[in-house]
Amino acid sequence: MLKLFEREILSVDEISKAQTGIDVRDLCVHLNGKLVLNNINIRIPKNKITALIGQSGCGKTTLLNSFNRMNELNRNHQCSGEVWINDRDIYNRKERISRLRTQIGMVFQRPNPFPMSIYENVCFGLRIQGETNRRKLDDSVERALKNAALWEEVRDRLFDSAMILSGGQQQRLMIARALALEPEILLLDEPTSALDPLTTLYIEELINELKKQCTLVVVTHNMQQAARVSDYAAFMHNGELIEFSDSDSLFTMPAKQQTEDYITGRYG
Amino acid sequence: MAMRRQLQLNTHISAKFNQELENLKHSVLTMGGVIEQQLVNTLVALQEKAPSLAERVSLNDSKVDVMETQVEQECMRIIAKRNPTAGDLRLIMTVSKTATDLERIGDEIARVARLVTLNKIPDSELVFGGMLDIGNRNVAMMRATFDAFARQDDKAAILAHQQDKDIDRVYKKVLEQTAAEIQLNPGDINQWMDVLWAIRAFERIGDRCKNICEYVIYLTYGRDMNSSSMKKTVKKLLK
Repeated sequence: MLKLFEREILSVDEISKAQTGIDVRDLCVHLNGKLVLNNINIRIPKNKITALIGQSGCGKTTLLNSFNRMNELNRNHQCSGEVWINDRDIYNRKERISRLRTQIGMVFQRPNPFPMSIYENVCFGLRIQGETNRRKLDDSVERALKNAALWEEVRDRLFDSAMILSGGQQQRLMIARALALEPEILLLDEPTSALDPLTTLYIEELINELKKQCTLVVVTHNMQQAARVSDYAAFMHNGELIEFSDSDSLFTMPAKQQTEDYITGRYG
Repeated sequence: MAMRRQLQLNTHISAKFNQELENLKHSVLTMGGVIEQQLVNTLVALQEKAPSLAERVSLNDSKVDVMETQVEQECMRIIAKRNPTAGDLRLIMTVSKTATDLERIGDEIARVARLVTLNKIPDSELVFGGMLDIGNRNVAMMRATFDAFARQDDKAAILAHQQDKDIDRVYKKVLEQTAAEIQLNPGDINQWMDVLWAIRAFERIGDRCKNICEYVIYLTYGRDMNSSSMKKTVKKLLK
């Protein structure tokens, strides 16, 4: 039968172990004595964009923070379960947190450039890792800025302060800073909520390009953005994962009534 | 006068969205190509009284139905995921409605093909000749319509739209000839009923093509072709 449209997206049940970027098993997280994530099981596909959607306080950011153990910055943090990345449980005691965070980059809601030059901002992580070879640093900065679609705009002023860049440029700089370490996974916590609609589309296009080199997980409150940008989407509610599927299915024919109510604005 | 907008499909920031819209437009043209071939095959089957070819046309109709479903699903997916607006939304609505009309054209073609399969081709030279005439006019109109759609050419769409008048004229003439034949052979009324349905099906193909031309105008101007605000524009394009 003639197929008019080719679909390259596998359904979540078809994702093999080799195609899994992050494998979360029975993850429970308590913060300040409150159960924030309740028995989460999810296989996030490799080299795809997965969006986490849900109401404020449903545990999206906590789940995102679990992937690079950022939750541990909270002293009243308790966690059980496993998060497997590259055949290693990142919550294993032998796991070095600094090494983990070089593999997993993170970009936050508001761009937070350091008060230093554009160049130094991008190579900050590499310098922390002890890289001093100037040529290697130059190459990494150029590559990261090109991947973040910022190179053409800043190539002549790499040593100017990063603070003079616009909001959209600063956010792309943050992505470049994360990319300089060549992470396998990039976590984005509402990366465009502080940006105008057009810049948002540029960042989304950039995110779409980046999936060739890493696995991306995006937390967003903007349902339309989740629909536009993601290959897979997970809907969370009250710390539980309600539905996880490819976003074509989730946004056209969700399996759960709760998901349908949320994405159609009937919730609550 | 209504304002003309040439829709640029490949200028979105999102390259994927560009590709999706391009594929969507292409899918309708692919579907149109299949339909056109179906119509040509039906005419050949009719002319050569070849039931096996007509049978193949009838079987192929299910392909067209599947294609329509695929186009509809893709339109729905794009609306849900991309939240299209303005020209993009008009394009998606146009594609969706065109796919529905193409599917109906497929059904009409299959109805004519069935006449050949059941060996109920009219003996009357006048009626038979009239049917072939409408069929050939349909092929010409269909080609002009798809061409206008592919190029989003408003003038070509209006010119193709006009061709339906000729089809209606021939249809009326063939109907009169058929009525005369029925009066001569009232005993064969059952066979003539099938012929009448087939002639009617041919005429409907012209109407469906006319609809598609109207969608092209809607896509370009954002207005219904028959609205009062479009009258001046249509008149100007016809000059």
